[in-house]
Amino acid sequence: MLRFIAQRLVAALITIWVATIAVTLLIHLVPGDPVRIMYSGFQTTPEQIEEIRTRLGLDQPVWRQYLMYMGRVLQGDLGHSIVGDQPVLTTLLQRFPATLLLTIASLFIAVVVGGSLGFFAAYRRGTVWDFGAMTLAIVGVSMPHFWLGLILLFIFSLSLGWLPVGGSGFMNLILPAMTLGLANAAILARLTRSAMIDIFDQDFVRTAQAKGLPQTLVLYRHALRSGLVPIVAMLGLQFAYLMGGAIVVENVFAWNGVGRLAIQAVFARDYPLIQGFILFFATVVALASVIIDVTYALLDPRIRYGK
Amino acid sequence: MTTETIEAPARPERPQRAYAALFRSPSGAVGLVIVAVLVVCAILAPYIAPHDPLVMAAGPRLEPPSLAHWMGTDQFGRDVLSRIIYGSRLTLMIGTIAVGISLSAGLLLGLVAGYASGWTERVLMRIVDVLFSFTEIVIALACIAILGVGLVNAMIAIGIASIPFYARVTHSIVLVEKNKPYFESAVAAGASHARLIFLHLLPNVIPTLIVIGTLGVSTAVLAAAGLSFLGLGAQPPQPEWGFMLSSSRDLISRAPWMMIFPGLAIAITVLGFNLLGDGVREVLDPRQRAR
Repeated sequence: MLRFIAQRLVAALITIWVATIAVTLLIHLVPGDPVRIMYSGFQTTPEQIEEIRTRLGLDQPVWRQYLMYMGRVLQGDLGHSIVGDQPVLTTLLQRFPATLLLTIASLFIAVVVGGSLGFFAAYRRGTVWDFGAMTLAIVGVSMPHFWLGLILLFIFSLSLGWLPVGGSGFMNLILPAMTLGLANAAILARLTRSAMIDIFDQDFVRTAQAKGLPQTLVLYRHALRSGLVPIVAMLGLQFAYLMGGAIVVENVFAWNGVGRLAIQAVFARDYPLIQGFILFFATVVALASVIIDVTYALLDPRIRYGK
Repeated sequence: MTTETIEAPARPERPQRAYAALFRSPSGAVGLVIVAVLVVCAILAPYIAPHDPLVMAAGPRLEPPSLAHWMGTDQFGRDVLSRIIYGSRLTLMIGTIAVGISLSAGLLLGLVAGYASGWTERVLMRIVDVLFSFTEIVIALACIAILGVGLVNAMIAIGIASIPFYARVTHSIVLVEKNKPYFESAVAAGASHARLIFLHLLPNVIPTLIVIGTLGVSTAVLAAAGLSFLGLGAQPPQPEWGFMLSSSRDLISRAPWMMIFPGLAIAITVLGFNLLGDGVREVLDPRQRAR
């Protein structure tokens, strides 16, 4: 088990390391002069441009820039944003709790709605219920979540006036979380259904049924418990999807998380902030997937005992 | 007499059988019809669109759906239906170009990694795995940060963002094909690397990739609409559906039709490609059909 955790941690570190390389290269791939592009909205003299270039280390060879960047990153310094001249890490950390809250709330909605829909469809496989649930799921998969967001906004905020349009309180969380959660519930419903169908077909479920155990016991004690294993395995990827989806949804509802910040940074061509965001995002997703993989291992004895 | 009834009818050619099966699967048939309608709209746009999609004041501003304007007009008096019909051209272009980029690059990467094995494979697939974990939207954002805002750049960004996915799929197919007797005997016969890759592996990888590419169009369309919605893709006055949705945001309560129809167009298109992809998969993998 310790070895498994160590392996997952090493994989996560490699991901983060590759992200640092990608982020350093990013600014060099910009066609034209990145410094001029970044400061195109400001009044600058050619001397100032050269000074900024030296300050950002962009006059150095790429390998030295990388070492300088790594040196700073290891000290927790991701540079300063162009707009507002704020420390990038501090800005990201200020905004991150909002994104994390949105992601976790959506994950909860996705698991509860998608999981039960998929479980129900698998249990009633081949019936009208199954067909209905899966039709709902494929429609959900096809629906752009920013559109779903606008529809929910139209119904619950503008027409019924039940929920606020934008902001950062608990009531403001409901619509974005529902938008992101329902969009992903559809994916999860399809995955859960096929995982549960595999389990319902297995001998231990049939044995449990054959020996006359009550149906609810068979369902919850035997089937659902082993069904959880593949579902938890999918959550790692789901978490990454939700974090990615949050970028769009935060912009629909003016939810002040890192996603909204990232889009503003792309518009302003604020490269230090974009670089910081990508590195930050990669780190969060990598660490989350370690946590989820370890949970998965705890649930599945085959992995816990090294197969 | 009896021999005639027992004798099986001549089997039609394979592709025909596949098309017939596609039509028998309900999801495949519905998907095919939706995609066909979309293609027809894109080709015949100038003939079927009632108005010019870019001409301002084709009617009164913000007019609700009526007989003259079936889907109403926007804040500049442009006909929403005509914009949606013309938008199908952009959508199909985005879908095919983005998938084309990711499919060809992913195919190459996956083929090389799977064929080479050893260190080349390990390093390439490790990089692909890492990129995969960044998620597509973040890679696309990084590409747009590099290239700048615009519809063409958004297409390229989405294409690049999906390369890791296609590389993974190709790699896994190559690994299976490499262990089949036909490939092993070609290796034993001393076939050259180029021959092994292009004559033996490639033809066996492509059919599966076509199916996955069909499903990929839906993801690409959704992603492009998302980027345009954020203002990073299509720019005014392009009649792009995602962009139309974003310009409806401030007018939702006054002109909900501006929000409803473009969103519906995106959803139906994506649904069409999803159903088509599901249908094709069912045809190719009969095990799925039983479920």
